[in-house]
Amino acid sequence: MTVSPAAVLTPIPAAPTGMGPRIAPYLLVGPLMLLLFVFAILPCLLTLLLAFFDVDILAGTIRFVGFENFTRAAARGEVLNSLRVTFTYILLTVPPSMILGLLIALAINSLRRGRAIWQAVYFLPVAATLVAMSIVWRWMFVGRRGIVDQTLGQMTGLVDWLNSPVLSLPAVAIVGNWQQIGFVVVLYLAALASVPRHQIDAARVDGAGAWHRFWHVTWPAIGPTTVFVGIITSVNALRVFDTVSTMTGGGPSRSSQTLAHLMWERGIYFFDIGGGSVVTLVLLALAIAATALQRIMTARLEKAGTR
Amino acid sequence: MTQSIDTTRARLVAGGTHLALAAGAVFMLLPFWLMLRTSFTAPDQVFAGNILALSDFSLENYRRVFAEVPLLRYYLNGIFVVTAIFIGQVIVCVPAAYALSRLRFSGREVGLWLVLAAMMVPYHATAIPIYVLLSRFGMINTHGALILPFIGSAFSVFLLRQFFLSIPQSVFESARLDGASSLRTLMHIVFPMARPAIVTFGILSFVSHWNDYFWPSFVLRNDFAATVPFGIVKFLDQELGADYGPQMAAATLTVLPLLVGFLIAQRQLIAGIAMTSGQVD
Repeated sequence: MTVSPAAVLTPIPAAPTGMGPRIAPYLLVGPLMLLLFVFAILPCLLTLLLAFFDVDILAGTIRFVGFENFTRAAARGEVLNSLRVTFTYILLTVPPSMILGLLIALAINSLRRGRAIWQAVYFLPVAATLVAMSIVWRWMFVGRRGIVDQTLGQMTGLVDWLNSPVLSLPAVAIVGNWQQIGFVVVLYLAALASVPRHQIDAARVDGAGAWHRFWHVTWPAIGPTTVFVGIITSVNALRVFDTVSTMTGGGPSRSSQTLAHLMWERGIYFFDIGGGSVVTLVLLALAIAATALQRIMTARLEKAGTR
Repeated sequence: MTQSIDTTRARLVAGGTHLALAAGAVFMLLPFWLMLRTSFTAPDQVFAGNILALSDFSLENYRRVFAEVPLLRYYLNGIFVVTAIFIGQVIVCVPAAYALSRLRFSGREVGLWLVLAAMMVPYHATAIPIYVLLSRFGMINTHGALILPFIGSAFSVFLLRQFFLSIPQSVFESARLDGASSLRTLMHIVFPMARPAIVTFGILSFVSHWNDYFWPSFVLRNDFAATVPFGIVKFLDQELGADYGPQMAAATLTVLPLLVGFLIAQRQLIAGIAMTSGQVD
C-alpha cells in the first residue's frame, strides 16, 4: 500500500475527541464569562437601577421612586461630607506614604547588606491582618491611658484623638500610612532595580553629585511607578473601611466617615438599599475615573520613556 | 590614602542609613510589640508600670479568649473559604486565560474586553448590588457568599494571560500535532507550565481573603460563616468593651497565622506584590 505524497505533507488534523476543538474554547471561557458578568458587569447596571427604587429586602418588595433617593441623600448632606472626608484622607495618606516610601526604598537600595531584612520589616504591616492591627491602634490611641496620649499627648497637648472631630481622621490616616508604606517601598524597590546601571555610572563619571544623579537619572526612570503608586494608593483610599469601622465607626459626628463606610452604613446597617446605591454610584464613578486616568498616564509616560 | 578615606566615608554613610532605617522600623514594629506585651500581661497589670515593658508573664488573656470565643470555628471557616476561593480560581481562571491567549475562536475579542472591563470595577464599589443579588438567592450568612464573587478573578486571568503569551506558541502547537485533545493539553501542558504564576496569585489571594474584613461585613449578619477577622471583631465589640488584655490576645491570634506564613513565604509574597502591584481581584 502506497501513501501519496500529498497525504504525508498535509498536517495531521487534531484528534477527534469528546471535547471537540470547536466548542472547547467556549467550554474553557464559559464559566469565567458567566461569573464576570454576574459579579462585575451586572452589579454596575443594577446600581443604576437600584438608585431609583425603594427596595425592601426583607419583605421582598421593590417600588420605583424616581430621584427620591438622590434628593434624600442630598438633604442629609452625608455624601458630600464623606466625599470631603475621603479626599482629606487621600491628602493625608497618599503624599506622605509616597514620599516616605520612596526615601525608605532609596535608603534600602543604597545598602549592600541587610536589604532583605529591612524590606521584610517595613513590609510586615502590609501582610498583617489590618482589622486586628486597627484594634491594636485603637488601644494605642485610647484617651488618657493609651501610649499616644501618654507620650505624644504629654509633649504636644493633643489627646484623645479618636473622640476628637479634628483628630479622628488624622489618627485613621496615621494607621493608613503605617500600613501602606511597606507596599510603596516594595513597588519603588522593584522600579529602582530596573534603573539602567550604566546611566548612573555615566553620570557619576561626568561628576554629577548624588542629588543630580537622582534628579536627572533615577527620578525620570521611576516616573511610571510614581504615577502608578499615586493612583493605586488613591484607589485604596476610596475603599478604606477596616480602620474606620474599628477605630472610630465613622465618628465623632461623621468626621471620619469615608465613602466606603457610608456605603456600608446606609446599605447594610440601615438597610437602605436605594440610599446605599447612591453612594455606590459615587464610589464607582471615582474608581473608574481613577483606573482610566492610570491607563492614560502610564501609556503616555511609557511612550515618553522610550523616546 | 584617599582610598581608605573613601571607604571610611562609605561605611559611615551605610551606618547612618542603617540607623535611620532602624528609627523608622521602631514605628513600624511598635504596634506589634504593644500587642504582644499587652496580651501577655495579666489583666489587672495592663495599666500598671511601664507601658512598654513586659513585667509579669501571664497567659490569662489567652485563656479567656479561648474559653469565650469560638476561635476554632473562625479558623476553620477561614481556611475553608480561602481554600475554596483558590481552587475555584484555578479551575475557572487558568483554562479561560489559556483559551483567551492561545486559542482562536470567534468571540475572543468580546471575552478579552469583558475581562478588561471587569478589572476596572473594584468589587468594593459594587458591594451593595452584589449583596442584593446574593440575598435574592438566599446566600446571605453562608460560606458561598464569601467565596462565589471571587472565583471569576479578572485580574488573575489578566496575569495568567500575560504569562501564557510569554510561552512560545510552538509548545502548544506540538502538543496538538501529537494528537492531544484540548483537555489533555490543558492537564499536561498548561497547568504544569502555569505553576509559578498560580503560586504567585495563590499566595496573594490567600493573604487578601484571609485578612478581609470588608466583604464579610457586607454579606454576614451572624457568625455562622464568620472568618477570623469578622468573627473576632464581632466578638470584641459585643463582649470585651474595655478589656484590653483579651482584646490584644484576640488580635495576636488573628495576626499570628499570617505572620508565620509571611516568615516562611516572605520572598514569594514580596515578589508577587511587586509583580502584580498587590491587586488580586
